[in-house]
Amino acid sequence: MTGLLEIRNLSKSFDTTKVINDFSMEVVEGTICCLVGPNGAGKTTTMDLITGRIKPTSGQILFATDDITARHEHLIARAGIGRKFQVPAVLRDMSVRQNLEVAYSRQTNPFRNLFKFRKEGLKEKLDEVATLAGLTDRLKERAGILSHGETQWLEIGMVLMQEPRLLLMDEPIAGMTESEIEKTTQIFKDLRQSATLLVVEHDMGFVRNIADVVVVMHMGSLLAQGSIQEIEADRRVRDVYLGEQEAA
Amino acid sequence: MGNLYHNKIAQWIVYVVFFAALTIIPMTVSDSFLLNQLATYGVYGMLALSISLCWGFGGILNLGQGIAFGLGAYGMAMTMQMQSQSESNPIPPFMLNNSLDHLPLLWQPFQSTAVGLVLAVAVPTLFCAAFGGIMFRARVSGPFFAIMTLAMLSAFYTIILDRQAYTGGVNGLTPPSSFVFAGVEVDPYSPTAYWVVLCLLAGATFVAKLITQSSFGLVTQAIRDDSERVRFLGYSVAGYETVIYTVSGLIAALAGCCWVMLVQYVSPAQLDVGFSLSMVIWAAIGGRHSLLGSILGAFIIQGAQSYLGDAFLATWLLILGGFFIVVVRFLPNGLASLVESGLGLFDRQRPTSSPAPDGGRPMPAE
Amino acid sequence: MDLGSLINALILGVSIASIWLIAALGLTIIYGTAGVINMAHGELIMLGAYSSYMLQFYLGLPYLLCLPVSFVIVALVGLALERGLIRYLYNRPLDTLLATYGVSLVLMQGVRLIFGSDPKYLAVPEIFQSNVMIGSVSLSVFRIVVLLVTALLVLALWLLFYKTRFGVQVRAVMQDKEMAASFGINSSRIYMLTFALGAGLAGVAGALFGVLAIVLPTMGASYVVQAFLMVVVGGGSLAGSVVASGVTGELQSVFAFFTNDTFARFIIFVLIVAFLRFRPQGLFAQAGARR
Repeated sequence: MTGLLEIRNLSKSFDTTKVINDFSMEVVEGTICCLVGPNGAGKTTTMDLITGRIKPTSGQILFATDDITARHEHLIARAGIGRKFQVPAVLRDMSVRQNLEVAYSRQTNPFRNLFKFRKEGLKEKLDEVATLAGLTDRLKERAGILSHGETQWLEIGMVLMQEPRLLLMDEPIAGMTESEIEKTTQIFKDLRQSATLLVVEHDMGFVRNIADVVVVMHMGSLLAQGSIQEIEADRRVRDVYLGEQEAA
Repeated sequence: MGNLYHNKIAQWIVYVVFFAALTIIPMTVSDSFLLNQLATYGVYGMLALSISLCWGFGGILNLGQGIAFGLGAYGMAMTMQMQSQSESNPIPPFMLNNSLDHLPLLWQPFQSTAVGLVLAVAVPTLFCAAFGGIMFRARVSGPFFAIMTLAMLSAFYTIILDRQAYTGGVNGLTPPSSFVFAGVEVDPYSPTAYWVVLCLLAGATFVAKLITQSSFGLVTQAIRDDSERVRFLGYSVAGYETVIYTVSGLIAALAGCCWVMLVQYVSPAQLDVGFSLSMVIWAAIGGRHSLLGSILGAFIIQGAQSYLGDAFLATWLLILGGFFIVVVRFLPNGLASLVESGLGLFDRQRPTSSPAPDGGRPMPAE
Repeated sequence: MDLGSLINALILGVSIASIWLIAALGLTIIYGTAGVINMAHGELIMLGAYSSYMLQFYLGLPYLLCLPVSFVIVALVGLALERGLIRYLYNRPLDTLLATYGVSLVLMQGVRLIFGSDPKYLAVPEIFQSNVMIGSVSLSVFRIVVLLVTALLVLALWLLFYKTRFGVQVRAVMQDKEMAASFGINSSRIYMLTFALGAGLAGVAGALFGVLAIVLPTMGASYVVQAFLMVVVGGGSLAGSVVASGVTGELQSVFAFFTNDTFARFIIFVLIVAFLRFRPQGLFAQAGARR
């Protein structure tokens, strides 16, 4: 079984500081992989590297066996990688509906879109995602006025509208209530039928519920990889990460 | 009901009524000088429209729209100049004064009216596509792009000023006779000239309005909101920015052609920084998020300026500057936003009415 | 082209560079600190020239005294401008650009209404009007004065920004406004003072330009675009503007030697656009400041 996403010997330095250091991992198709680690371990930087926001100093990123290293952001997105940002990034001046509509990006060519007024399948998809994200009643609202939890949902909804093969979720449940977390857990599990997820999350309870595989990062490198039981039993992980969480 | 201002059908009705009203003018105005002046307002309206499209919808502040306008105007002036030259007298007089004894290569295509017209529109448009493409690909945006357009405008201004033998230098070009197209003379003081301008203005507005309501328009608005986020949805931000900047340049180039047709004159003053900035002022005061608002902004400001006349020009510009500051500070979306909030008040009085048929758009195209 | 004339062009280039630089100095301070794109900078220069004119005409002040007094007058105008308008627009860079253009219209037309459109002239001591030979170049003494004043101001600014407490505060605000605030630095006050300082520098430039060229209400317009380009090419730092002006002045002088002055300016504009395409952050990018 080969990974949908393969990261090979990835390194990234800012000036002289090595933020990512010879990091390798893979995400198998149809699974949920959780990326955990203490603050500053390089999780978000890894996401930035995968989505092309920053370019690696060395190493390779393969998506569905295509080399996507250092491609432009929009090409990586088109290849089938959707991303939810750590600080929810929605289009604040536009309505919830417009946010979802823009995210429905089957046709990205500016010339083809110039005089295009109807998008095939948009209505069904939008209804489906809005229902899933619980935003059906909020479609007309301006995205800027949504609560924090709703904004998180909207951005997850936007990623779903993109219909990506791989979803990158950077701290999806931050700021959510217990019941919202429960709902997210269910949705993520459902998503696994059709897509693959790479989730960065601090909440170990949530990770325990959804993760097929857990990858632990520390100081920009791979510390451990395995099932949640294996990770929780791992001494090194307890030392650098889990122990710290218990203390907090 | 929703705010009527955001109702697409209502918007189209207002646009149709507006242009219908403009078609009545030539039947009521008999003063040909006034008609010519009204037609030049149409040209300013096209320029304001182009700024509204680029800046209001695309979020790209262009302080160098004079480039597209000026290049279009020079192309048209060259075409008209060559129409006045004959086989026996192929060289425009100002070139002879600059001791050129043959027609420069640059001018030769303009001997044909059709080729000249195509070049007058195509050159500025292609320039915008190339310049915009290069800049947006390098992710130059916001105030930086504005300054780059200023620099480019200054570059064109100086080169036209400098190459006197080819451009007429500071005196510019003054084609001696009216534009002749397909055997028909377009007298700048005739209703025909007015109709030409009105048709182009209405056509450009129609196309621009369609663009803002299409999928393309939605993406450009998203880019205006947060260009970084839109990249991760799979859209080439540079591609969209280049297209809207180029379409805007195309409209300005058409305006340049019309302008020369109406006034039979072009000089580097049309590429002056001040003129490009006044286009921005028209759109800003009228309301850059509204195509119609911007056009009306140009009409009102230029209308008031010529109505008050040269004697009050300094006072008028002083007031205009002050008013512009107030608008930017307190009314960033211009006078059109007053209409929007006015209609919004009307809507709030009837909160129980049925939901809008088109789903209602909070921050939409208009 | 022989070596001698190239050296002449280079010497003349230093003088051109000093003019580009002094026009850009005030803008550098304002843009570098607060990120404000002040389109009224040209009109502040114009006000400096008119201040000197008034000081001479009504008070009979000697020219050299006009320089510092013009500084103070225009600095006060800048202060009023910052308090009355700019401070409301700090997080809206495009709007600042537009609003300051409105200010430039108001200032230009206001001056035109008061003083009329006819040119005014500044009187300078006779010695400034003579020429000196440097190598084989004949340069007016006044251009050397401009060069000296520019050098003096750059030195003073360097001392102010790198050797005083105020300078430390300014740089702290540039780096991180919130962080600076937590150390008890009042960023609003810093912005106000730097804006006034930048305006004052424009005033000095105006007092000098009023002699190099004639004093007109529209004189500012010709300086603002080139001043901006120096600041943007330099990246908003003092050293950046010095280097940018130096290189631009020399290039312009050399190009002008081959062609003519106007064409040289054209080449400079195109080169700057090309340069910024590949290095949008300018020569010396600095943290903060930018947007």
